[in-house]
Amino acid sequence: MIKLEHISKWVTNGGARVFLLKDVNLQIAEGEFVSIMGPSGSGKSTLLNVIGMLDDANEGKYEFLHEQVHLMKEKQRSQLYKQYIGFVFQAYHLIDELTVYENIETPLLYHDTKSAERKALVGDMLDRFQIVGKKDLFPSQLSGGQQQLVGIARALISKPKLLLADEPTGNLNSKQGEEIMELFKKLNEEDGVTIVQVTHSEKNAAYGHRIINLLDGRIEHPH
Amino acid sequence: MIKITDLEKYYRTEEVETVALNKLSIEVKEGEFVAVMGPSGCGKSTLLNILGLLDDPDAGSFLFNGIEVAKFNERKRADLRKHNIGFVFQSFNLIDELTVFENVELPLIYTGVKAAERKKIVEEVLDKMVIMHRRNHYPQQLSGGQQQRVAVARAVVNNPKLILADEPTGNLDSSNGNEVMQLLTDLNEQGTTIVMVTHSEHDARYSHRIIRMLDGQTVMENIMV
Amino acid sequence: MLFNYLKIGCRNLLKNKGFSAINITGLAIGMASAILIFLWIYDEVTYEQFHEKKDRIYEAWNLASFSGELHAWNTTPKVLAAAIQKDLPEVETTTRAAWPQRIQFAVGEKKINASGQTVDSTFLQVFSFPLLKGDPVTALMDPLGVVVTEDLGRSLFGSTDVLGKTVRIDNRKEKKITGVAATPPANSRFQFEYLLPWADLRTDGDDDAYWGNNSVRNYVLLKANASPASANAKMKVLKPRYDKEDPNWQMFLYPMSRWRLYSSFESGKETGGIIVYVRIFATIAILILLIACINFMNLSTARSEKRAKEVGIRKVAGALRGHLVGQFLGESVMIAFIAGLLAVLIVVLSLPGFNRLAEKTMRLPFGEPAFWLLLLGTIVLTGVVAGSYPAFYLSSFRPVSVLKGTFRKINALITPRKLLVITQFSVAIMLILSTIVIRKQLQYAQERQTGYDKAGLTYMFMTGDMDKNYLLIRQELLQSGAAASVTKTSSPLTQNWSDTWGIFWDGKSPDDKTDFDRFSADENLAVTAGLTMVMGRDFDLSKYPTDSTAMLLNESALKTMGFKDPLGRIVKDGDMEFHIVGVFKDFILGSPYYPTKPMVVEGAKRWFNVIHVKLNNKNSVAASLKKMEAICKKYNPQFPFEYHFTDEEYDKKFANEQRIATLSAYFAALTIFISCLGLFGLAAYMTATRVKEIGVRKVLGASVSSITSLLTKDFLKLIGISFLIGAPIAWYCMHHWLQSYPYRTAIEWWLFALTGLLTAAIAIATVGYNAIKAALANPVKSLRSE
Repeated sequence: MIKLEHISKWVTNGGARVFLLKDVNLQIAEGEFVSIMGPSGSGKSTLLNVIGMLDDANEGKYEFLHEQVHLMKEKQRSQLYKQYIGFVFQAYHLIDELTVYENIETPLLYHDTKSAERKALVGDMLDRFQIVGKKDLFPSQLSGGQQQLVGIARALISKPKLLLADEPTGNLNSKQGEEIMELFKKLNEEDGVTIVQVTHSEKNAAYGHRIINLLDGRIEHPH
Repeated sequence: MIKITDLEKYYRTEEVETVALNKLSIEVKEGEFVAVMGPSGCGKSTLLNILGLLDDPDAGSFLFNGIEVAKFNERKRADLRKHNIGFVFQSFNLIDELTVFENVELPLIYTGVKAAERKKIVEEVLDKMVIMHRRNHYPQQLSGGQQQRVAVARAVVNNPKLILADEPTGNLDSSNGNEVMQLLTDLNEQGTTIVMVTHSEHDARYSHRIIRMLDGQTVMENIMV
Repeated sequence: MLFNYLKIGCRNLLKNKGFSAINITGLAIGMASAILIFLWIYDEVTYEQFHEKKDRIYEAWNLASFSGELHAWNTTPKVLAAAIQKDLPEVETTTRAAWPQRIQFAVGEKKINASGQTVDSTFLQVFSFPLLKGDPVTALMDPLGVVVTEDLGRSLFGSTDVLGKTVRIDNRKEKKITGVAATPPANSRFQFEYLLPWADLRTDGDDDAYWGNNSVRNYVLLKANASPASANAKMKVLKPRYDKEDPNWQMFLYPMSRWRLYSSFESGKETGGIIVYVRIFATIAILILLIACINFMNLSTARSEKRAKEVGIRKVAGALRGHLVGQFLGESVMIAFIAGLLAVLIVVLSLPGFNRLAEKTMRLPFGEPAFWLLLLGTIVLTGVVAGSYPAFYLSSFRPVSVLKGTFRKINALITPRKLLVITQFSVAIMLILSTIVIRKQLQYAQERQTGYDKAGLTYMFMTGDMDKNYLLIRQELLQSGAAASVTKTSSPLTQNWSDTWGIFWDGKSPDDKTDFDRFSADENLAVTAGLTMVMGRDFDLSKYPTDSTAMLLNESALKTMGFKDPLGRIVKDGDMEFHIVGVFKDFILGSPYYPTKPMVVEGAKRWFNVIHVKLNNKNSVAASLKKMEAICKKYNPQFPFEYHFTDEEYDKKFANEQRIATLSAYFAALTIFISCLGLFGLAAYMTATRVKEIGVRKVLGASVSSITSLLTKDFLKLIGISFLIGAPIAWYCMHHWLQSYPYRTAIEWWLFALTGLLTAAIAIATVGYNAIKAALANPVKSLRSE
């Protein structure tokens, strides 16, 4: 599904190149659940953003579902991205001015989904996450765990093949975190969603099929 | 030096209340180097903010050098803070519009040190941090490691008793990170108390003691040898 | 999608009530000002535009040089029309209009004073004043006819069906109504309630064929394809051919399209006129609107930090840039729409006051679809212009950097913003300073000694039998105790009706072309007007019957004539000889802004139009006026009693400056308000971008006051620069303006100090809010997101 070859990304600071990613090679097959680990500043989030097409690399090839992403224009990329990828963030990133229902509905607006269908899809999602009762509340009225549930529901509403999660439990306490990880596991096993998550926690990383360790922008291979 | 007992801190929104610190008790002795570890959201940054007198607890006691500061008002806290505490942040937090020299000089201005005196002290510290040759550069012109050295210089320029470091190596690669850790160790050996929040087991090994937190409480303490 | 945008737009408005209120009022006030100014411009440029033949209508002007200076003016001889008809084949017809006059119309016991003009019978064919009843071709041919407006007809007869009815005019002649005209539009120089036929003038013996009597307006209608240039070539040589007295005068035809907007002449050359104001005001209106838009952009972009997260999320959710541009433009159009409605409300509320100020009767054309289209167009345009920058700016955020909070490097923006604030405040400082100077000049002129005593001084124009019964009226006024003193004069003391360079005395140099104000009085002028005599005595007919040919001089006249012992000297005015009996201290007859001119007051042999009555201060003003009315009714029963207070009339001399002062004060207030919005936006923006820095400084021990002053200092620098730009420009403009007033105030240094302090205070108040808010914020919050 995902194939990264010799991916490098850098910023120029004080005249010198500082590498965020250096010669990263990585393949992820459809249906996998992968955890990315590494100390702060090792390039985990950057790698996730490159996979998620939110950011582009300075060098290297990126193939997604057999399409050459690194050759695409911004617009084509966002079409591809819109169709196949969902994102979950550590800080939830819900829109404060919209209700739970409206937040989940947002991606559908950009998919030009018809109003009646949107209603049905959002309804299903609310049911599935058991947050029907909260649908008219605003994000500020929810606990962190509930907000993250909404964030995941929003990421899943457009039925993505790939779910990218950047420290999804980072702002949650351990019990809430565990619930989210269980949910991921279920999504991966029952719905066949490919999941790539960035995490600091060994425990959460263990939910994945394999762990990729990053240090200073490089993938560390187990010795 | 620091003794906190049953400290509590909540974050409230309209409907829910999140517990950031849950009856936390910690003691740090003068001259110690303590690392605080734990997953994101365990309350370690909140703890650091309270130790730094930037935030006030909702309940509990906080003795700083034997003085109860939990109920101090903003002005008193600011006063205590500027004379006793230095901060090192993950993202350096240097002021982009000021040069290296001016950034380091800033705390001295706020504590009312005379200009001639300031110059002497700043130059001394810059020398010690091996960043003197960059004194007239702006932060943007420096590498991450250099920026963090400037930040450490700024943190120690007032000769604080306590340095609080929030993931000081978080934005650095491993070699620059090691350099900064060495710097902190040196400072500690010269008598400065250090409390550092980190995700990195490697960095934590520089400390005397690791406090591990989860859900606003300490769950374990490791004494390093 | 649209619904979603509107919803989030509304929620954003409601969530930031203060911000929305500032934004919307700012835009609304900008729009309202623009609408008011454009109404005024519309009114000015549509002057006389309703005449069907407007492209062919011209007015005859004189062009002649006096004392080396070329003058152009538009009162011409009555005889000119016939000469034009004869000599200019380009002309289809001519029509003349005499000076407007107020005369009395009576029907039975009902008496109404109405103003109107005596005109040629062709008047209604040249100008488009439609007759509701009657034939425009013949209505003004009948010497015994009169055309009245619908309104006058209704006032006189209680109905509009008045054609053929008879009215009595000035209690001397019966006229038959031969036409009923619609009331003339307000934006025309012809504001008549009646039109009398030229033949009426002839019957009264007031028509003449004298080329030296420049007392009427001559209008010319050219033939459809005639060349104005060739007509003008003939006009140039017309007067020398007929008038042997002043063969050097020329004449020219002035097109109707320029009457209102351009007809200001200096040294015989067109120098603009109202068109200058039209251009200035149009520029101001567009600038105000533009500045309001830019402020709106500033305030919106300042908040972009808060909206950035939303942008990032929407992009991650799949929004393309176009979606977001649409969303933000939609929001700003919505705000512009609300502002537009508010602007219309403001215009409706302020229009009466604006009309009073501008002395117009403008109204919002609610019935016109074009108005609504234009309004809607303006709203959408304003919304798009105002929203374009935030829309494109916000939508260009890269989601990763936004969500990580590392997108703040937009310092390049600050410079144009600073420029904008400097521009706005330069204008504000200019206007504040100008307003203060204008007010000071006004006050200076108002406090000038008039040289006569206005207290209790009234005057009446002599109508009907008042001239005939003057002595009786005076006697009764004095006996009844209403008046302390009564004097008959040529004109009110506040107006200069006559001046001449034809005054001669022994020893006058042949080159001396001094222009004298010419006034006349019967007796007791010094007592009635409270003049100070410096030599000789007042007119006194009872003691000195020869005082009917006596003369009083003012001190300036005495200086001009150079007499050491003026009393008894003979002064000639044309054929008449006067002997000087007294000299009085100068008083202001004309403009209070000019030095007093040499003035001669001629005795009772001259003509009189006005009775001045100094009320007896032993009785109340009301009681005296009541007695005055009874006496006037008795001796002049056919005319209503009308009187004026001299002090009130004197105050009218300041109306123009008063208007300029009021207008500049309004503009100053408006500019300050808009500038403050701009400053507020910039302050909000700057503090938003410096949140991290403020946090760091606080952590390092900075106090609230040191941060507040740090943030405020930058803005005071901008105000300082604005002052350095605005103050010299204001000084230059005001210095220039004051030059047109020979009697003028000085621009002193404290005016600048006052303006500077005032502006600085306003700026500190505006910026302080943001600065203190930023300084008080908990640094943990600004540093936590890292």
